This record gives sequence, C-alpha cells and structure tokens, in this order.
Amino acid sequence: MQDLVLAPADFVALINQTLESAYPSVIIEGELTNFRVSKNRWVYFDLQDDQASVKFFGTVYNLPGPLEDGLKIRVTGLPRLHPRFGFSVNIVSIAAVGEGSIKKTAQLLAAKLEAEGLFDPARKRVLPPIPQTIGLITAANSAAYADFIKILNERWGGVEIRLADVYVQGAQAPSQLVKAIEHFSQLPAPPDVLVITRGGGSIEDLAAFSDERVVRAVAASRVPTLVAIGHEVDTSLAELAADQRASTPTNAAQIAVPNRSEVIAGLQAAGKSLGLSLAQNFQAALSDLAQGGEYLTAQVNLLLKNVQESLVSNRRLATLFDPHAALKRGYAIASKAETHVSSIKQVKLNDSLAVQLSDGKIDSKIIKITGGI
Amino acid sequence: MAKAKPAKTYQQLSDEFAELTAWFESDQVNLDEAVEKYEQAMELLAQMETFLKTAQNKLKRISVKFDET
Repeated sequence: MQDLVLAPADFVALINQTLESAYPSVIIEGELTNFRVSKNRWVYFDLQDDQASVKFFGTVYNLPGPLEDGLKIRVTGLPRLHPRFGFSVNIVSIAAVGEGSIKKTAQLLAAKLEAEGLFDPARKRVLPPIPQTIGLITAANSAAYADFIKILNERWGGVEIRLADVYVQGAQAPSQLVKAIEHFSQLPAPPDVLVITRGGGSIEDLAAFSDERVVRAVAASRVPTLVAIGHEVDTSLAELAADQRASTPTNAAQIAVPNRSEVIAGLQAAGKSLGLSLAQNFQAALSDLAQGGEYLTAQVNLLLKNVQESLVSNRRLATLFDPHAALKRGYAIASKAETHVSSIKQVKLNDSLAVQLSDGKIDSKIIKITGGI
Repeated sequence: MAKAKPAKTYQQLSDEFAELTAWFESDQVNLDEAVEKYEQAMELLAQMETFLKTAQNKLKRISVKFDET
C-alpha cells in the first residue's frame, strides 16, 4: 500500500469506499454555523464544538424547517469525500436538539408557515359528523393507539379503521408520517377523516409533529385532518395546520365519532316527538271536524230562528186581518143576498140586510139611509 | 333470483329519518300519508337503534411500508 500510486479520482473513490464500509451512516451533534441556502435548493453549513468543525451538504428537502446559526442540531448523514470540494457529510436528516433549539426552530417555522397562511382558520374544513372510514396514523404499539381504539369502540360502531403503523418519534418519523398522509390522500376512495395521533413525551419526542414536511403534508391533505399530539398542554405545528385539533388521543376519538348512547336517547326522543306530532295532526283534524259541525248547527239554528220569526210575523199579520177580531171590537159585517155591503149605494129602503156581529147574526130591514160617517 | 338489497348505512337511515321528520314539520300533512310515514319512521328508528347497539368497528392494517424510499 505504501508504494501504491493513485490518481486523485482513484484516491477519492478508495476513501469513499472505505468510509462507506466503515461508517455507512453517522450522527453528529453540534452548534450550527455558516448556514446558507444556495439557489433555493442546496444547503451548506458547519457543525462545530470547541475543538472542531465539520462541513455538511444537502438539499432543502432535508431541512426540518428554517434554521439559523447558533442552534444545536443533530444531523444524520453519510461521510463523503467530494472530488472537487473536499470532505463533507451528506445530510440525511436534521433534528434540533435540546429544548431551547427545538422551541427556536418551531418558532421560526411557525412564523414562516403562519405568513404563508397554513394556520388560517378559513382553511379549516368541517369533519364529517359520522365517518364510515377513518385513516389512523400512529404507532400501533403505542398507548395513544390503544386509547383511541378503546374510546372509539365504546362510543360508536360500524367504522372501518385503516391503520398506518408509523414511527412517531425519531429520525424516521417525519418521512414516514408524510408518506402515510400522502398515501391516504392518493387513494381512489380516501377515508372520510384522517386521525394523526401520539401520546405525550419530551419536546424531542414530539418534534416530528413540528417538522416542516409533516406540517405541510397535514395542511395539503385531501382528507380532512384531526390531529392530537401529546398531552393537553402540548401544541405541535401539525395540530395548528390540521382542520381540527384534539387535546389527547382519547379526545380525538370523542371528536371523531358521536356517542352511541346519546344518539340512542336522541332517537327515542325523536320517535316520541313524531308520535306526538301524529297525534296532534289527528287532534287538529278532529277539531276541524268539530268546528265544522258547530258551524253547521249554528247555521241551521239561524235558519230555524228566521223561520220562527217569519211565522210570528205572519201570525200577527193574520190576526190583524182576521174579521172576527174586528167583530169583537164592535164592528159588524152587513150583507145583502150573501153579498157584503160596504156602501149605501148598494142598498135602498126596505131592503133586507143581514148584520153579522161577533156572536150572532141579525136580519134587519132598511128604514132610513143617511150618507156620510 | 333477485339479489338482496345491500344494507343501508347509518347515514342513509339517518337521512331518510330526517326527511320524514321534515315532512311532519311541514304545514300540509295529509292524515292518510301521516300514518304510513309514521310507521316508516318507526321502522327506521328501530333499524338505527339496532345498528347502534350491534355494529362493530373493523380494523384494517394497511400493508404499505412507509420506511421504503
């Protein structure tokens, strides 16, 4: 080996072969310096400590969000010797380390996405009240999964749950979460709602849900999203981008489906109300009938009353014209040869005249005729 | 032989029930129809209640591997 003479390209290939074999992947943690992005695509920075500095190279697709110098980050990468630019570590993934750096990167990303409108309430879609299919993205062996399924089963039935079992923390989590969200969005028959959940943990454990790629995937999901990460006090950026946030996995199940016992009570009340409505309709019809009967009776009574009044009136009239009444008052009816006599011109002296009084008749003879009354 | 009708989903039953309720709330309720529609509504309620008391959730683990690049 000592006497081996190599061309530069061969030397680079040899070193890379050695590196690949000895260190297929390395994880380096340090303070970020000289961070820059070229042509909106290529990313360069150094990681340093008190004694050394290492160069890194990658693309913007490897970034968990906006970064700035001074942050403490952990980079997973592949050490390589570039034929022209020398040694660097090709970035596979980046994660902020420590509460301060994680919070700072989350703040930087939140400001950027807020400005883009990803958290705008106007973007939020309403979740279906009764989903038939739920896409569930979580770790199948987690307490979050167990809690969600337990509460879902207690509350409702008949739902098809399609589970995407993914890492919910660690370096692989962001890309798995993104792929799972995209998988459901691209299905010809996507689920009615997408539930993304995990239980509580340290700020590092929850960091994947504030990764820019995950937050953007949640915002871009074709399926309405319900995101519940950590405990009630934890808020990840994915939750802000979701159509609806839940405080815990249990709360996510409570939001996703109605409570069957409440619905059954509601149905029973609706049945009673409908029965009441039917009875009221019959009551109204009966009331209409009764009112119709009363009206008819009133009309008939009115008619009868009119007839009675008419009868009384006619009777009065008849009484008025009754000749017997006049005879009783002292008037008399004179007749000659069965013909009523109402004028002195109809008679002459010595004519026989019958005079009808109220209680009998007098046959008389005319002995004097005098005109006038 | 005629094929059996596929079972209605809860949402379909619920929508049909809502239609009947709306009919009863309208101003022009025909008594002959009312009895028939009331019976339909009670049948729907019974089906919905049965669904709620018996339906089980189904879990399907999707086989896609998300760690593949």
